[in-house]
Amino acid sequence: MRGIAKHYGSVAALQGVDFTLARGEVMALLGENGAGKSTLVKILAGLERPDSGTIELGGHPVKLRSPGQSLQAGVAYVTQELSIVGALSVAENICLGGDSRAIWTAKRLADQVRPHLALVGLGEVDPAMPAGALSLAQQQLVEIARLLSRNARILILDEPTAALSDAEIEKVKAVVRRLAEEGRSVIYVTHRLGEVFEIADRVTIFRNGRSFPPVRVQDIDIDALIEHLLGRRLDQMFPARSGNRGEIVLSARDLIAPGLATPVSFDLRAGEMLGLAGQLGSGAAALVRAIAGVLPRERGTVLLRGRALRPDSLREAIAHGIAYCSDDRKRDGIFAVRRVVENLTAPSLSRITVGGLLSRQRERDIARRLASFFEIAAGRFASQAGKLSGGNQQKVALGKWLGTEPAVLLVEEPTRGVDVGARAEIYRHLRALADRGLAIVFASSDNQEVLGLADSVASFFRGRIVRIVPTEQLDEAALLRDVTHPAALGVGAEP
Amino acid sequence: MTTPVADAIRHLDAAAPTDARAVSRRRRIAIGAMLVAIAVLVGVAGATTPSFLTFDNLLVVIRNASITGIVALGMSFVTISGNLFALSAEELAILAACVFAWLMHAGFGLAPSLGATLLMTAAGGAVQGAIIAVGADPIITTLAFGALFRGLASLVTGNQNIELGSRAAVWIGTGRPLGVPTQSWAFILLTLAAWFALDRTRFGRQVVLTGANRAAAAASGLRVGQAALVGVTLLGIGCGLVGISAASQFGLAAANLFGGLDIDVVAAILVGGIALAGGQGSPIQAALGATFIALMQNFMLLHDLSTGVRMVVVGCLVAAATCAFHVMQQRRA
Repeated sequence: MRGIAKHYGSVAALQGVDFTLARGEVMALLGENGAGKSTLVKILAGLERPDSGTIELGGHPVKLRSPGQSLQAGVAYVTQELSIVGALSVAENICLGGDSRAIWTAKRLADQVRPHLALVGLGEVDPAMPAGALSLAQQQLVEIARLLSRNARILILDEPTAALSDAEIEKVKAVVRRLAEEGRSVIYVTHRLGEVFEIADRVTIFRNGRSFPPVRVQDIDIDALIEHLLGRRLDQMFPARSGNRGEIVLSARDLIAPGLATPVSFDLRAGEMLGLAGQLGSGAAALVRAIAGVLPRERGTVLLRGRALRPDSLREAIAHGIAYCSDDRKRDGIFAVRRVVENLTAPSLSRITVGGLLSRQRERDIARRLASFFEIAAGRFASQAGKLSGGNQQKVALGKWLGTEPAVLLVEEPTRGVDVGARAEIYRHLRALADRGLAIVFASSDNQEVLGLADSVASFFRGRIVRIVPTEQLDEAALLRDVTHPAALGVGAEP
Repeated sequence: MTTPVADAIRHLDAAAPTDARAVSRRRRIAIGAMLVAIAVLVGVAGATTPSFLTFDNLLVVIRNASITGIVALGMSFVTISGNLFALSAEELAILAACVFAWLMHAGFGLAPSLGATLLMTAAGGAVQGAIIAVGADPIITTLAFGALFRGLASLVTGNQNIELGSRAAVWIGTGRPLGVPTQSWAFILLTLAAWFALDRTRFGRQVVLTGANRAAAAASGLRVGQAALVGVTLLGIGCGLVGISAASQFGLAAANLFGGLDIDVVAAILVGGIALAGGQGSPIQAALGATFIALMQNFMLLHDLSTGVRMVVVGCLVAAATCAFHVMQQRRA
C-alpha cells in the first residue's frame, strides 16, 4: 500500500501512509486510538475507500471497493465484534456466506470443515455442536476458520484478544503463529504491547495518521515501543501510591453470589484501592457486581459505613454512596446519542433539579467540575458521547459518578479498549480520586494493571478467592500463578 | 516538536465548533424541514384548490390537525422513551368518546362525566404503561389493549350511536375562543407543556436517557420503568381529551369514530423526524408532523380522493419514512 490518504470531513485520518506486508509474516499494528491503524485495515478490507494511494497484492495493483472484492483478493478481516450465529452449528457457521451450491448434509458439511477446524486448533470440537456453546476464544477461532475456508491469504485480526482471558489468548496466539508458518500473512492490531513481542515478526507504529517504517521486533524493546507510540517518554504508567488511609467505609462479610463459590470477606478504608485479579469467570467481576447489587447476593452482607445494604438493589446502593461502572461502556456506561454534558449528570439528576425542574446553571457547573477533573475538553460538552474516542468515552463513563459524591467506586476492567496514553491518564485519575478519600474496588484481567495500581490485591480462580494480600507481597509471577493454577498454594484448583 | 497529547487537545478544540451543536442542529434541521414542507403544502393546496383557503375549510384543517396532534404529543413521549408506539391510541379515544357520551346520556352531568372519562383513559394508559415498564413488548401489549378498548366501546354503545342528549358539552367540541377552535387551543398549550416537560424537567430527562440507553439508565440509578408508565399514561389522557372533544362536537359517539387515527399519529412521529430507536427528538417535531399529515389528508379529501387512496398514500409515507430512517441509521453506524 503506497501513499494512502483518507479524510473524514476536515479530519485527516491517514496522510500518505506506506505499508508493506511480506508473505508468511505476522505484522503488528500499534497506535493510540485515532492514530489511523483501524482506518488502514478497513481500507484493506474494502470497508472504506481511500481518497488517494495505490494497493498492490502479490505485485498486481488491485481495487478493493467492497468487502466482497477484498475477500476475493484473499484479504479477510476479523472484527472485534464476532459474527458467529450461536444457534447454528460450528460447521454451518464456517460455511455461512460461502458460495457453495451443493446440497448440504450435516455430515458432508462436517467433513468439509474439519481440516479448517484443525488448522485453528479446534480439531477436537464437534462440527455439529451449536457455536453458541463455545467459549468466546473458540468462537473467534471458528470465525478465523471461516475465513480460511475462503482461502484467505492475508488475515486481519483487530484486537482479537481484547475480550479474552489469559489462557484463551494463548490459544489464539498459537493459531496465529501456525498460520504464519503455513505461509499466510497476518496483520495483528492490538493495544497490548506484550503481545507484539510474543507473536509478531515486525511491527508498524501509527501516530497521528502517519506510519513509521516497520521495525523487526528483535531490534526494539518495550520502552522504545512506548516511546515511539507516544512520541514522548512515558515516565510512569502508574501513579505513585500514597499512604493516607481513612476509616473503614466498605466491609464485605461472608459474601456469596452467583459466580462466587466460596465466601469472601474484606474491609476497605477510605483512600484505599483494592484490585481484584482474575481471568474471565474467575469470580473477580462477580464480586464487584455482588457488592453493587447488580448480581443479587445469596448470602453474606455488605456494610457501607457500618450500615447493611439491601442485597439486590443497585438503586439503593447508588443512593447510599456506591458508584458502579461495568466493563461494557457501550452497553450500560454511556448514552451514546446524548450530549456529553447529559451523560455526566445522568446519575446525579437530583443535584441539578430544583422542584422537579432542571437547572441548566447547576448542570453546567457540575459537568464542568467533573470534566476538568477528568480532563475532558469543555468544547465537547455538546457533542454526542458516542462520537468521542474510546478513552474519552471511558472518562465520561467513570467521571459521571463523581457527581453523586460516592464513598465507594466499583469498576470492572477500568481500561478495556483504551489506548496506552489514555490508560495512564485513567490510572492517574483513579489514584487522585483515592487520594481524595474515595475507596475503590476494581476487577481486572490485566495483571500488570492490578499490580501497578492497587494497594492490595485479591486474586481469584474459578469462583474462589485465592488470597488477599498487600500488593508489595506479590510479584508478577506469583499473581500469574494465583489466577491460572493456584493448586500449589493449597487452594482447591478443581471446582 | 508537538506531543500527541497537545495534538489531541488541539484536535478536540478544532472539532468542537462543528461537532458541538450536532445534537441540536439535527433537531433544528428536522423542524426546519417540516416547516418548509408545511408551507409548500399550503402553497400548493392554496394555488390548486380553490376550496382550500376558505374559512370553513381552514377551521376543519386546524381542528383535525389538533386532534391528530394532541395524540401525537403523547405518542412522542412513548417513542422518545424507547418504547416505539402504542397502537391502542385510536381505540382508547373511541372508548373515551363512547363512555363520555354514555355518561352524559345517563344524566351524570358535565363535570362528573369529564372527570370519570379522563380518569378512565389515564388508567387505561397506566395499565399498558405498567406492563411495558416491566419489559413487555410495547407493540404487542398495546395491540392487545387496542382490541380490548374497541371491544369495550362496542359493548358500551351496543353498536348504536349514543346521543349526548345534553347541550352542556357543545362548547367543548365547537367553541372558538378568539376565533380559534377549543381543540387547537388545547393543542397549542399542550405542545408547549410537552416541550417544557421533556426539555426542562427531571422527568423529561429520565424519559430521554431511558430511551437513549435503557441499560445505562438503570445502571445510573434512574427509574427506567417510570418513563414508560408516565409516557403511556400521558398518551391515555391525550386520547381522552380527543375522544371527549369529538363526542361533544358531533353530539354523539359511535364505535366507528376516528378512522385511521393510529396510522396518522405514527406517520406524524415519523415524518416529524423523531428517532424510532428512542432518546432523540422533541414533541414539537410530533406536533409539526401531525399538522403536515392533517393538511395532506385535507388536500386529498378536497380532491375527492377516496378513503382507499388516502390510506394507500399514508401507508406509503410511513413505509418510506421507516426506510429512510433505517438507511440513515445504517450509515451513521
